Amino acid sequence: MRSVMKDILDVATSKSSTYQQKLFNMANVAERLVDPREVLGYTDEEMMYIENDMICDLNEGYVPYRPRYIVPDYYVLLSKGCKFLKLDPPTDLDELLDSLLILYSHVPSITSFPVFIGDLDKLMEPFISDEKTDYIKIKRFLNHIDKTIVDSFCHADIGPEKTRAGELILKAIVELENPTPNMTIRYDKDITPRDFALMAAEACLRVSKPSFSNNKKYENEMGDHRIVSCYNALPHGGGAYTLPRLRLGTIVKGVKSLDELLNHRLPKVTNAMATMMDKRVSFIVEKSNFFETSFLVKEGFISRENFSAMFGVVGLADAVNYILKLEGSEEKFGTSKRGDEIGHSILNVVDCIASKHEAVYCERTNNRYLLHAQVGANLSEEDKDNTPAHRITVGDEPILPIHIKQAAPFHEYFTSGTGDLFALDQTYLDHVDAVLDIIQGSFASGARYITTYLHNTDLVRVTGYLVKKSEVMQVGNGEPVLRDTELMGFGTNSNAHVFERRVRKDGK
Amino acid sequence: MLTYLREELEKMENKAVINKIIPFSNVDGPGNRVAIFFQGCNANCIYCHNHETINMCTTCLICVKKCPVGAITFINGKVNYDEKKCIECDTCIKICPNSSSPRTKEYTVEELFEIIQEYKLFISGITVSGGEATLRADFITELFKKVKTLGLTSFVDTNGFFNKNDLSNLIQVTDKFMVDIKAVSQIKTLCRSSLENNLENLKYLLKLDKVYEVRTVIIEEYMDIENTINVVSNILKDYPEVIYKLIRVHSSGLSQKQKQLMEKHIPSKEYVKELAGKVQKIGVKKVEYIL
Repeated sequence: MRSVMKDILDVATSKSSTYQQKLFNMANVAERLVDPREVLGYTDEEMMYIENDMICDLNEGYVPYRPRYIVPDYYVLLSKGCKFLKLDPPTDLDELLDSLLILYSHVPSITSFPVFIGDLDKLMEPFISDEKTDYIKIKRFLNHIDKTIVDSFCHADIGPEKTRAGELILKAIVELENPTPNMTIRYDKDITPRDFALMAAEACLRVSKPSFSNNKKYENEMGDHRIVSCYNALPHGGGAYTLPRLRLGTIVKGVKSLDELLNHRLPKVTNAMATMMDKRVSFIVEKSNFFETSFLVKEGFISRENFSAMFGVVGLADAVNYILKLEGSEEKFGTSKRGDEIGHSILNVVDCIASKHEAVYCERTNNRYLLHAQVGANLSEEDKDNTPAHRITVGDEPILPIHIKQAAPFHEYFTSGTGDLFALDQTYLDHVDAVLDIIQGSFASGARYITTYLHNTDLVRVTGYLVKKSEVMQVGNGEPVLRDTELMGFGTNSNAHVFERRVRKDGK
Repeated sequence: MLTYLREELEKMENKAVINKIIPFSNVDGPGNRVAIFFQGCNANCIYCHNHETINMCTTCLICVKKCPVGAITFINGKVNYDEKKCIECDTCIKICPNSSSPRTKEYTVEELFEIIQEYKLFISGITVSGGEATLRADFITELFKKVKTLGLTSFVDTNGFFNKNDLSNLIQVTDKFMVDIKAVSQIKTLCRSSLENNLENLKYLLKLDKVYEVRTVIIEEYMDIENTINVVSNILKDYPEVIYKLIRVHSSGLSQKQKQLMEKHIPSKEYVKELAGKVQKIGVKKVEYIL
């Protein structure tokens, strides 16, 4: 959406933003002041879909000068150091952690904070010597990240192998109870030892991280990848140029039949999003000079050839519920066989168009844009009608085993990431092996990514990112807070009631 | 009562009356499990928390009249229950004079197996409980044989009161038992039935390496607490892998009548902890307590 001059004044005089948030917001307003028809060559039709909220560009702006998500290969730091920052390869844990913190502040992204901060366990493992003192250093390092990378889209990966560093990291995140960094264990039951997996599952219950990703499935489809930001699966040493999203719950409004949606309206909007993406990617690669100027490129942390772009989808449940109503059904998406059929028919249209479209500068992913189940990180009113991704609307969730079986087939479409979240009852803390059974069962059913957290923890996954409930409540009172994600958490909870997810006990 | 129960059960032939199926249970053995609760019990313990699983329905029809939403009906000589209409207010269970429930269903082995198959990816195994599951040993033996083909484990939750010779086939196909030792010398006071063999059965199953855990609910006066703890601990000290779980009795959710019976007999938390200490001292490796 374009900005207007008044936005500048609103940002400057806001009572609920920190100085740093105002600075970034000011830059974002500037990026959206220009007309994308002039700068990027958007057609009137493409622009119309942004203005009528059918396509949301997540405020990326119309002069994109860096890829949205950057996934550096931090192992380069271990082997070569960084010339631009005059850092030698680290020789001990202190040097490593210090160099990483320095490097993080130079990794761009849509939020200006790094969305990927490395395989923390494997980066640290060669330098672990004394677990007692190393633990103190690791904990301090993680706390430093929480207070300086004030955006919980910042994501660290661990696993699939067990390491001493991995265990120390898990111990530290449980003690710290910080929202940042977000974290994933790339889990493979054939590689990850059971005791390490159980330790991760327990941490996930207590502090909502690490989430579990189906590493075997992602490795097969994406090759060398990392989980970044919310739960985006992207090429390692590259990233994603852009992520706009189709608001299915908005697109559906006013159609007279499923046929009209599938054969007329949806293909038009979907095609428009694909061509819009071409224009954005071309600008970043051909005009912004990002790849010509960034030291990350020159020194091998990333390469242009490892980038792709993400084709986002949100609000499937709302689109399906709209059609169900049109067909005279009282059923709801999540507990309706017909609803699932409609859902798959909608995603098939999107999938078909995305897989036929010749993407630009995406050789790493066979010149295709990758479907992504976007969860909503936007304060727009329109998001009230767009349930995150393909998820079941909060309040309509069936019992747990049915829920997982309903969700897993929808995970299939989303090569660049999706995930489901389950709030579990307190009893699971004494029975973490039962949680692992649920996760393994989900993966065996084809699911890509699962988070399980205790329903009564303060640290909660809103959609993909983490917030503290207590801090989100501060936003409700109009007070400034450290992280922009807390503002989003407030908006998303108001829209989607994510703090009231069904609490699971006995599989219900 | 027991003769009546057996007759009823035999009438069912190849079907079993199931009180409840919990698709994902995390408290009935290791991992996530499908827990199946069989209707019918040979005991009637003072503190029973599943009172509605004790007897078969006698079609007295009291619940049909009292259901506030009309979910229970009497058709063709049978009490029927409409799951969709039920609001789970538990009125039917509370007013049943016979410790039974209209919310049971009959299943064949094949039908239960189909349900288990639906959940097989998400579970470590199944656990049969009750009531007293061993009353349907033949049925469960068939079920377990089929469950084995899915690579899942099969557990039996039992009160320990059975004739082991009748159960040889079931024992063979069962991976582990979870055994209650309710009391040693005061069984009749506590369980209000003349039952025996629980210790003998426990020792037998232990020798076969078929015990996952042993549990004793602690209630004062109705049972010989110290004696029970002592005897069980001395047996279990030679089996370091077996859990001994002490459970402090509680009366929440029980009927007024049951509450009155238990009122002055709930032990203090400290006492249960103290008992756990004694168990440990005798040499039991895995001691747990629930307060």
